[in-house]
Amino acid sequence: MSKEIVAFCCQHSAYPAADLAGKSGLRYAENVRIIRVPCAGRIDVIHILKAFEKGVAAVLVLGCEEGACHHITGNDRAKERVKYAEMLLKEVGADGGRVKMYNLSPNAPHKFVKILDEVSKKIADEEKQK
Amino acid sequence: MEKEIGIFLCNCGGGIKNIDFDAVREKLVQISDVAFVAVSSALCLEEGKGTIVSTIKDKGVEKVVIAACSPEFTEHTFGEVLEKAGLNRHLLAMANVREQCAWAHQGDVTKKAIQLIKMAVNRARLLQPVQKKELPINKDVLVIGGGFSGLNIALQLSRLGLRATVLEKEAVLGARLGEAESFSSCDMGPMISEVESDDNIEVLTSAQLVRIEGNVGNFSVRIQKAGEEIPRKYGAIVVATGYRTQLMASSEPDSGGKILSQAELCRMLAAQSLEKQPRTVGFIFDFADENSRFPTLATLDNALAAKEKWDSEVYVFCKSVKVDSKGAEKLYREARARGIVFLKCETPPKVLAKNGRVEIQAQDILMGEDTVFACDVLVAEQQILPAEDADILSSLLNVGRDSKGFYQDENVHLYPVALERKGIFVVGGCRGDLDGGRVLSDISSAVMSIYELLSPGKIVVDSEKVKANPQKCVACLTCFRVCPHSAIQLMRAENEKEVAQVADAACDACGICAAICPAKAISFEGYTDEQIVAQIEALGTS
Repeated sequence: MSKEIVAFCCQHSAYPAADLAGKSGLRYAENVRIIRVPCAGRIDVIHILKAFEKGVAAVLVLGCEEGACHHITGNDRAKERVKYAEMLLKEVGADGGRVKMYNLSPNAPHKFVKILDEVSKKIADEEKQK
Repeated sequence: MEKEIGIFLCNCGGGIKNIDFDAVREKLVQISDVAFVAVSSALCLEEGKGTIVSTIKDKGVEKVVIAACSPEFTEHTFGEVLEKAGLNRHLLAMANVREQCAWAHQGDVTKKAIQLIKMAVNRARLLQPVQKKELPINKDVLVIGGGFSGLNIALQLSRLGLRATVLEKEAVLGARLGEAESFSSCDMGPMISEVESDDNIEVLTSAQLVRIEGNVGNFSVRIQKAGEEIPRKYGAIVVATGYRTQLMASSEPDSGGKILSQAELCRMLAAQSLEKQPRTVGFIFDFADENSRFPTLATLDNALAAKEKWDSEVYVFCKSVKVDSKGAEKLYREARARGIVFLKCETPPKVLAKNGRVEIQAQDILMGEDTVFACDVLVAEQQILPAEDADILSSLLNVGRDSKGFYQDENVHLYPVALERKGIFVVGGCRGDLDGGRVLSDISSAVMSIYELLSPGKIVVDSEKVKANPQKCVACLTCFRVCPHSAIQLMRAENEKEVAQVADAACDACGICAAICPAKAISFEGYTDEQIVAQIEALGTS
């Protein structure tokens, strides 16, 4: 089994979008593990780093569309923290590109699947190069 | 180890085909603190719920994991089931093995299901009960703004038996409505007298809000009137402060009363007799904002009135006339049919004063030529802007505004009338450039939301779900600054230092404070750092 991708999903946007993807019969990589959070702003750098410590392939933070966050600023704060985590990863010589923040709305299952496809492809390409 | 966790698996009446539930069960019973793993075919039906209750009571477990469909649908239902079984509803962790596992992938996904359930088990292990508590609330409503929206809301609330205070900064109610922008707008007289004679409505004119404290259901405010501060208590607050209009700067600032605003034209139209009726009337609109609802409707309405009353020639200089208001298309067609000329230009026309008239130089895109018109009067383009004191009021209420300065950006989660701070609603023109129909639906939405909130006389909230630990808090105010719902207050703990405290009523449980607190003093039950990390710990083990 390939390494997992952890997706922290905001319960107001990405989580329902993932549900909708399943309901609509859209397919995405099986190694995605979704962790439901009340807002992307709940995610702290430590959560992201713990996941990498566990050896996951990538960490995604998925929140509401910009300007349409259920908690007004949660998605912006999440973005800052993802940036910070990326910087920390680079500092210790790891691949900072493996943590990413995306914005999507709850009725966007296709975008959800597209994001995961992109990430899976990127990981597969990088694995091949190694 | 004590066997404290009970696991229920649901195959959704056969709707989940690619998970081998027996294999899942075999794997899960090996976890040392799992008391039992029960497989059912429809947990959400009455029979299934009954089984959950009896099994929990029978086996005496403390925490429950349910692996079924998305918690988006059933977390609430199963929470109630847990309560029936004598457990706190927060001692439930769900694993979404249907939408995000079985239905999302082809082929056998038993392994993924096992891991998802293990993640939920890890989280369940750390869950703590969260108690509900009832808070008494004040049923009075403060309506800021005595215009069309404010008065309407006060009247409707009064009919529902709620008392309201209308706060008006001017000396009389409906002051701005005297200068109506649209000729056929309604007469406010009867409404004002109805408000003034209503026992449930108190009117405070020449008064303004100076201070607000507290949370939804229990706001304490101070109102300044005639140099005195009046303390009051309210359960909810409605902001209905309206908008203002501003003439767009034209190339010729003054031409002897020939360049008018919509309101000035309305006054001319309403006058019994005029010295000289304008034979040609020009309108400019649509260049500042292409979807400006109010200016578009006012222009169409006033253009028709000028045609009707004075039989003038009417020229409308516009860009594209596209507006999403109900009835606007009909008005536009009617205007065309009545001989009003619409001249579409890419750039705003030039306006010059000449021989006591107004000359308008425009480039008509249909003819592709420069055209020059002379009008007796010209109604210049108007911009819709937020009220002058919007910045003061928004900082008092601690609510955000959009890029143009109106309350509430069109955030889909708040739309239409809620603000990020619970118990404060925003209605009508102060929310943006709205047309009459939208204002009316705003009013209804706000009245319904307020009635739903206040009529029970109490609110039920989660007690200390998000909690700041007074021992760890260093009162750095980071949480106070970042909380989008103004739920964090500074409190003095018993004869000690000041510390942050989360107001249960105002908290919307987002966890932004818990993530940002540098001292890690804030815990958010259900999503504590440990509970999130525990789920991650289950990865890579199957």
